[in-house]
Amino acid sequence: MTTDVSQRFLARDNVYLPHIAVIEKIIDETPGVVTLHFNFKDEKLREEFTFKPGQFGEYSVFGIGEATFCISSSPTRRDHLEFAVQRVGKVTNALHRLDVGSEMGFRGPYGNGFPLDSFAGKNLVFVAGGIGLAPLRSLIWNVIDDRDKYEKIDIVYGARSPADLCFKYDLDAWGNDSSINMVTTVDKGDASWTGREGFVPQVLEQAAPSARNAVAIVCGPPIMIRFTFPVLEKLGFTPEQMFTTLEKRMKCGIGKCGRCNIGNLYVCRDGPVFSFAQIKGFISSEY
Amino acid sequence: MADSKRINKEDTGRLLDEWSKEFSVSVPSRENGMPAMLPWDGKDTSFLEWYRNTVIPPKANFFPPYEKMFDFQKGAEGYHLELPPSDKQKQLIFGIRPCDARALTILDTVFQDTYQDPYYLSRRANTVLVGLGCTNPYDSCFCTSLGISPGESTDVDLMFTDTGDGFFIEPVSDKGRELLAATGGLEDGLEADEARAKDVKEAAYRKITRRIDTGDIQQRLAACFENQDYWEKVAAKCVSCGICTFLCPTCYCFDINDELSQDEGTRFRSWDSCSFPIYTRMPMENPRQEKWRRVRQKVCHKYWFYPVNLDITACTGCGRCIRLCPVNWDITQTLNNLPASS
Repeated sequence: MTTDVSQRFLARDNVYLPHIAVIEKIIDETPGVVTLHFNFKDEKLREEFTFKPGQFGEYSVFGIGEATFCISSSPTRRDHLEFAVQRVGKVTNALHRLDVGSEMGFRGPYGNGFPLDSFAGKNLVFVAGGIGLAPLRSLIWNVIDDRDKYEKIDIVYGARSPADLCFKYDLDAWGNDSSINMVTTVDKGDASWTGREGFVPQVLEQAAPSARNAVAIVCGPPIMIRFTFPVLEKLGFTPEQMFTTLEKRMKCGIGKCGRCNIGNLYVCRDGPVFSFAQIKGFISSEY
Repeated sequence: MADSKRINKEDTGRLLDEWSKEFSVSVPSRENGMPAMLPWDGKDTSFLEWYRNTVIPPKANFFPPYEKMFDFQKGAEGYHLELPPSDKQKQLIFGIRPCDARALTILDTVFQDTYQDPYYLSRRANTVLVGLGCTNPYDSCFCTSLGISPGESTDVDLMFTDTGDGFFIEPVSDKGRELLAATGGLEDGLEADEARAKDVKEAAYRKITRRIDTGDIQQRLAACFENQDYWEKVAAKCVSCGICTFLCPTCYCFDINDELSQDEGTRFRSWDSCSFPIYTRMPMENPRQEKWRRVRQKVCHKYWFYPVNLDITACTGCGRCIRLCPVNWDITQTLNNLPASS
């Protein structure tokens, strides 16, 4: 396998040509979100394909178009790949209409992914909101499958309501894992909700994970991210200890089509994972 | 002058004829209304009279406004994807201006950066550029501020200079040298031609009077990046039509979309523009919804971000964005009036 990123997993030497993939399973996460499990049709690629947590792909519904999603499964679990889709536009609606057995296109993996090697030996604090858990669950499962390499794990996850909680099967599994400190919260509960209520940043502040030898990985709606960073700073995290993954409108995924830049950085090519130190150094607030 | 050749102007058609045996030859043409580099019809050389520069930049010959990326078809075995046949036909573009040839050198950098863009790069590899020095630049031209001389080019394979009755022909690249050696019917260049060509080049250089101040341009843009008042002022009359970007020889932004009829269709790409709010729009937010942010992006991308990433300024001073703008927006004014701070 070549180490040259630009040559990896190319279909017929053309970086814009997708691989054909088949939907193997569909999980309804919330009324607007599904997780799709898929595998490549090409068996060789199925065996060789690797990626890093935090990397993304360009997914095609032929005749409708392409859209960008992170790979939400862990590279340590090779049986199939997963991604989660919120129904918001043309392509995401078309993805929601796919059935098990349907074919779609996939290009990738693109982007930098999380700096997993630098997380070894550290306490990990995961903070996520809504479908923002998708890129983090790739990382969390990777870490769990390599549990000895990491110290304490804290997860704070929230959604607007109990119905908006994604990946409930993961939340259960992590809640039952004695090596993980799992906190789930909703902004507002319903009649049957017995768990925690409160916004993610506040719940994080109450959980108060130590910044000592720790990194925090944050993903969620922009408003949640904006309120979470100050809380982490208050807990003693430095900007170098905080990471997030940014979302931008993308088309090519490989730094050519132009639209996902923040100054001279392209979220597709230089990101999508950035430390808060990097974000503070961005020349503009256009993120 | 070693290697150089000369040809009388009335023999230009014969020369293009000879090249047409090996190449698909494109020349300046008004066939579609807007001057562009289009396939030569085998007879018409009247462009030698009217041609100053094309409206559609030659980037369109390598990166067309609309381009098929692949076809898809759904059959019993699932989807089949078909790439367009790779175009093995060798191309020759006759008459490209030094600014537009530089623009291709600039575009090469982004289309080769990490991931190879197969469509653009295969056309580039198949093409010979024959430059034609300017003798009558527009007053919107400012190429000399970008280190380009209107009469000279290192970005072409062969360079033609108008010496009045004829052309003085100089090879620039190995590709050009080979072509020139293989081309019959050309006389050797004379010292008098070379001297005349030198005068013509110098005269053209002197005709470019519009200037931008490129000194410390990145630092000066950085200094006023957050000066919203300034960017709002320079963006005020912009109508966000995107003409300056579509007709810019170095703008390369594109969109990717599908066309479908029944179970088969085409994925294509088409020129896009940072002038349009939809270009960056996401379901919940848009980082460049406001016009001043988009104008700022365009200017800073060309003179700051692109050179930081790819070590070359993404402007050639061709002046199209000035002379073809419907509201007389002028990038040279924007750059020359940058406030010292935010």
